[in-house]
Amino acid sequence: MDRDPTLRRKTALSYKTEEKTVMRGYSLSDMAEEGYSFYDAMFVLFQSRIPTEKEEKMLKYEMGVFLEHSMSPSAVGAIGVSAGRPNLPVCVAAAVSTFGGVHGPGAAHGYMLNKYLERGLKEGKTVDEMAKTLVDDYMDNGTPVMGMGQPQHIDSDPRAEPIHLKQEELELEGVYLEFQRALEKYFHARRKADGRSYVGVNVVGSGNTALMEIGFSPNAGWCIGSVVRGFSCAAHALYNMKKGRAWGASRNEPMVQMIDLSMIKYVGPEDRIVPKQEERQEYAKKQKEEGEYKQWVI
Amino acid sequence: MGYLDQEKTDALNKLKKERGVGNLASEKNPFDYHAREYGTMPPDTKRAPFQWVSEVSYKNVHRIVARGYDTTELMEEGYGVIEVLFVDYQARIPTIEEEKMLNYVMIMMMEDGLSGPAAISRIVAKSKTFLTQACGASIMAFGHAYGAYSSFGNRVENYIKHAELENLTLGEAAKLLVQKEGIDEALGVSGLMLKDPAAKRMIARAQKLGVAGVNIEFMNEVVKAAQAISIEPVDIDMLGATGAVMQDLGFTPEATWAILAITRSFGAGAHYIEEVERGELSRMGQQLSPKEDYDGPKDRPVPPLKDREKYAQSAICKTPEEWKKRFEKMKDVMGSGFSIIEEVADPSKKSGMKKVGKL
Repeated sequence: MDRDPTLRRKTALSYKTEEKTVMRGYSLSDMAEEGYSFYDAMFVLFQSRIPTEKEEKMLKYEMGVFLEHSMSPSAVGAIGVSAGRPNLPVCVAAAVSTFGGVHGPGAAHGYMLNKYLERGLKEGKTVDEMAKTLVDDYMDNGTPVMGMGQPQHIDSDPRAEPIHLKQEELELEGVYLEFQRALEKYFHARRKADGRSYVGVNVVGSGNTALMEIGFSPNAGWCIGSVVRGFSCAAHALYNMKKGRAWGASRNEPMVQMIDLSMIKYVGPEDRIVPKQEERQEYAKKQKEEGEYKQWVI
Repeated sequence: MGYLDQEKTDALNKLKKERGVGNLASEKNPFDYHAREYGTMPPDTKRAPFQWVSEVSYKNVHRIVARGYDTTELMEEGYGVIEVLFVDYQARIPTIEEEKMLNYVMIMMMEDGLSGPAAISRIVAKSKTFLTQACGASIMAFGHAYGAYSSFGNRVENYIKHAELENLTLGEAAKLLVQKEGIDEALGVSGLMLKDPAAKRMIARAQKLGVAGVNIEFMNEVVKAAQAISIEPVDIDMLGATGAVMQDLGFTPEATWAILAITRSFGAGAHYIEEVERGELSRMGQQLSPKEDYDGPKDRPVPPLKDREKYAQSAICKTPEEWKKRFEKMKDVMGSGFSIIEEVADPSKKSGMKKVGKL
């Protein structure tokens, strides 16, 4: 049996021989035997270190609370893909891939905090001052402040403040929590001053703050958040694959299905005649000249 | 929008009929193509409106609930990812021993060097994507050979069930399995872990924690049966150990497949990061494929388009014999797909939620 690696790469992450699999110098089997937790292993994977007990507890909390979120883009993505009955991993891959610039943008939040911390150092400003600068910069530009607001949990994400509280309870307050708390303070004040409604911190704002505080990079934090969500999305896809109707359009179900024909609302160009090939050139030129089509270009 | 009104519909259809549209007037068509409605179906008021139906979880403005447990309350009470996996997939809180065992399995599954999931994550990373795209791709590397938990687990379940129904011992059922299926990629027994004790240590840990059950017992018999017929030394491998342990923890083969593929995706995320940190990006057209690796047709001139008929070979077969002959011949064309015969099955075990949505 060919046991050569699929790719050859220099890597500081791991090696695997016939005898053992070693991650960052630690045998995985020895780690498991020793009683380390899955959360400990995440620190080894991304930070090449064993965490303190409190850090481990914080990660456990953050990952656990982020795992399940019922119907979000990720779960809906998994369910939508499952309608065609592909292999289950495809549904999960789709779910994890929904995490982009809006849904769970952990990396973006982390980069934002890092950028302003860096700037504060250069400009000789305090964390509190930089938080205000950030809020003003973003709100002056009409740019959403990462980590604030959630379209479903309009009174603030139920997971968010408890994550902050857990971080404080575990005495893991550092520069990130100080920054995030100050950011929230100025954000709320600015919205109030502008006569706008209350928008609470979301799970990225608090969860990613905790992840960064316990030493994860923006991308590592993003990986932890988006992949852990995959666990619940797989459950949603599996439920639909085992107990739901394939295709999601059956008219024999008592409830209208996800992609029943009646679910389609069309707002595009009206029905029109398809030009014959001999009419095509003239038709196409006229269409370009008139330019009506431009309103439909996406 | 709904349907276009009848007058406009008739006018448009009449015009099209007069103009003629290809073969659409053919009587072979199952209905009259020049009497079709325009516009979308109006809302169905006879059935309950669509809702996302879930047994797994719900949320409202102020809480998220999985299988009846508020997830924030779960964390506040000291539970974590491991327990929520039991909650989501099995609707129950695991025992401390079960929690420890799943923790063990997930550590073991987090990283596997530069195998398929890591490799694909790195390849995706080089095209300059989001990290999540690479993590997603790594999960798709789990199929019915690499990480074959669905194939492995369903087969184990079927043979254990068969043993119960036919009053066979697990040893007899294991022999039957090995005789019928052979030592294939989904058996969970191979020569891969002869020098690495990790798989056996995992089984021993399950026994020590008291969570070992019929699946591990059966796999022990499968190992014996495989060893009896194999000319090469074989033993339980990571697929066999992790699969059997997960099923003894109560996870279905599909749940196991998903949970372990996702667990590996954390490692794949680290591979993405390292690839971006260490490597250069890959541009379209950059990679060369050495001619010495090529064993297709020799270089040949492209025939002039005007001579096309002279060179063209039709694939139309008029008889089953012709079809069979061509089919066999095409098996020599690697990459054509004729050598692959597979069943693309519907993995649904039930279909339809008739109890949901009645008005």
